[in-house]
Amino acid sequence: MGGWVGKVLDIDLTTQTYKTYALDSNIARLFVGGRGLGARLLWDLVGPDVDPLSTQNVLIFTTGPLTATGYQTSNRFSVSTKSPLTGTILDANAGGFWGMQFKKAGYDAMIIRGKASQPVWIEIKRDVITFHDATGLWGKRVFEVTDQLGQNNHRRNVLCIGPAGENLSRIASIMVDRQRALARGGPGAVMGSKNLKAIVVEGSEKPQIEDQERFKFMLYETRKLLAASPLTSQALPEFGTAVLVNIMNSIGALATRNHQQVQFEGAEAISGEELTEKYLVKNEACWACPIACTRVSRTEKVQGEGPEFETIWAFGAQCGIDDLAAIIEANTLCNDLGMDTISAGSTIACAMELSEKGYLDSDLRFGRADLLAPTLEQMAYRRDIGAELADGSLRLATKYGHPELSMSVKGLEMPAYDPRGMQGQGLLYATSNRGGCHMRGNMVGVEVLGIPKLIDRFQVQGKASFVILHQNVSAAIDSLVLCKFTNLGVAEEYFARVLSAVTGIHYATGDLIRVGERVWNLERLYNLREGFTEKDDTLPPRLLTEAPQEGPSQGWVVHLEPMLKEYYRARGWDEHGVPTPRKLAELELDDLN
Amino acid sequence: MVDPRIYEMFRDIGRDLYVANMISSHGGNMSVRLGDRIIIKRRGAMLGNLKPHDLVETGLEKNDSGVALASTELIVHRAIYKATPALAIIHCHPRAAIAFSLSRDEIVPIDNEASYLLKKVPVVTEEFASGTPEMANKVANALKDYKIIMLRGHGSFAIGQTLDEAFFWSTVLEEACQIALYAKIINEPFIEYRKMSDSYSKF
Repeated sequence: MGGWVGKVLDIDLTTQTYKTYALDSNIARLFVGGRGLGARLLWDLVGPDVDPLSTQNVLIFTTGPLTATGYQTSNRFSVSTKSPLTGTILDANAGGFWGMQFKKAGYDAMIIRGKASQPVWIEIKRDVITFHDATGLWGKRVFEVTDQLGQNNHRRNVLCIGPAGENLSRIASIMVDRQRALARGGPGAVMGSKNLKAIVVEGSEKPQIEDQERFKFMLYETRKLLAASPLTSQALPEFGTAVLVNIMNSIGALATRNHQQVQFEGAEAISGEELTEKYLVKNEACWACPIACTRVSRTEKVQGEGPEFETIWAFGAQCGIDDLAAIIEANTLCNDLGMDTISAGSTIACAMELSEKGYLDSDLRFGRADLLAPTLEQMAYRRDIGAELADGSLRLATKYGHPELSMSVKGLEMPAYDPRGMQGQGLLYATSNRGGCHMRGNMVGVEVLGIPKLIDRFQVQGKASFVILHQNVSAAIDSLVLCKFTNLGVAEEYFARVLSAVTGIHYATGDLIRVGERVWNLERLYNLREGFTEKDDTLPPRLLTEAPQEGPSQGWVVHLEPMLKEYYRARGWDEHGVPTPRKLAELELDDLN
Repeated sequence: MVDPRIYEMFRDIGRDLYVANMISSHGGNMSVRLGDRIIIKRRGAMLGNLKPHDLVETGLEKNDSGVALASTELIVHRAIYKATPALAIIHCHPRAAIAFSLSRDEIVPIDNEASYLLKKVPVVTEEFASGTPEMANKVANALKDYKIIMLRGHGSFAIGQTLDEAFFWSTVLEEACQIALYAKIINEPFIEYRKMSDSYSKF
């Protein structure tokens, strides 16, 4: 079988020992890799009795069968764990180079268990695994650690945590290749709880490809399609993901001031056009990626990668801030501290609203760009007001008696797309297995951009089917693991064909999407086992009751209830959102119950 | 009750199919999937002139009274939805494509757009080429790997997330076949302009 290496690395930090064993080929076939493989392994390893920040939780790093093959964007990898922020199953994936390097080191997956007695970092050079003392690195920030451990994009890659992870902030990220992030849900805190500062990899082994001729054909056709799509060949390279600021604002779906409005009067000043014109230094690309959407931006104070659309929104519109330089600086600071920018920005926005309404005693107010950087510093080190914000908006708002002001789903802060202007996006957030997230499927394609074709964004009937399809496709892409931007120009049928060419196993398009459906249902089972119920499939009350008073989404709230009913039925779940035995058997998941 | 937005989609695309010469007055059919329900054209209704009452709702798996009114091809639509991720299906009778299906087991386009988008369209054969379980299975199986296929001598089945998308594949195929037909009439040596086009038949 091509694609998979067929090997799992299993590390116990408590004893500082490791072993390797064969990847179960049936699990590989059913769950493919990345998010799917991580979820399947986590199901067996971490049960409902495990506190996410205890030694019993694990970190599972996974690649997919396409990783390091050279197929477009085959650079990504994934981490799975139980989230310390939400208590749900969590996966996060990142691009760059580390994932490619890890696969070339000869592994499909790595499980990290236990807790080191002192800070350590791990070095992986193919079969040689070394545990190093990290006492001297503990307390240092991400950029310094990454440089010190010898980051070299094509030869030696560093993944590490910053102060936020060390201080167990529940919104801490794991940083990769200096400025890429396994960001959401707090995986950095899990790494910090294990006294693990960094993992460095070097590899040289190329994955086997079963049908080279067919693979080359798909590579060529994918290149053509990415070049033909204006999104992947022009919009993303020219403006980065920030191209969405003006688009979302113009349709009344750019959440503003903690979702109190859906349009931001300062959008133009924080747009992709403004970023490109005033702050862009150059574009960069992940390994094997022709899109090159990465921005390198510079202000008078900093130079760094990003910011992405969601970050610009989180520190911008969501906080009522139109100072793009301050946003760029906040982004770079978050990367250096190792903190999720979406959760950090939205938590600050929540604190701003709490403060403006007199529930929280702080200087934070919408528009206070000058307070972004100091507040982020305080959060990462749990100092002063930062101690209140370090664990996300839901814990903060609950402490001050107003959980309804946390713009989160299942405790994870939602991203920029205000679902009152995109009904399907509302259902998507409410049902997302890792909480409020746009990477578990995103309706911006069909509801806004017209990919593959435009549907009415306010339509309610029938939306569930679209949401389900996009959730399944998203889970499949995350299991391959590829970048979702390729899907803006290349349809799933190409991914199925390239997977078939690489592995030698025939996957029809529907088979690949079925992998995604299987992963989605497994994640649902995991969350149900953790005690989540249909009551958690909801949105902040503001989105269900407060309609925008003006603009293109005027008068709309999210009509969640009818969509949710349709969703459960269409998923083959019962009326309480529990997968039926028939559905589980159909997905070959019946052995899990 | 069917959302008026869904009806408008059926009405507009039905009209376009007729105007584009892709169906006869009462030929062809289309449907969308809403979870475990299907909305499909009523049997005998004219796609080019659909009224709200021409849309019938029935179950994807289970029969209900809707089946008494549904298109004769309901069985095929159900099989396709069960076998593929499709959310919309269009069956029509594109004339040039039907002509090519009479002599080929696959249609490999020579024009740029269809080469880009389709690469290859398989042709499947079924003696009773309308509304039988055998035909339903053959069509559904072929659509597992392709977004549009031809039933020999009968017509095309195209799938997509929306009717719009399935309509797009249908017109791309017909346009490709008309261009191929013109090229045959011109009957001059073909100048290959596409790299790796010899791989299309392996798509």
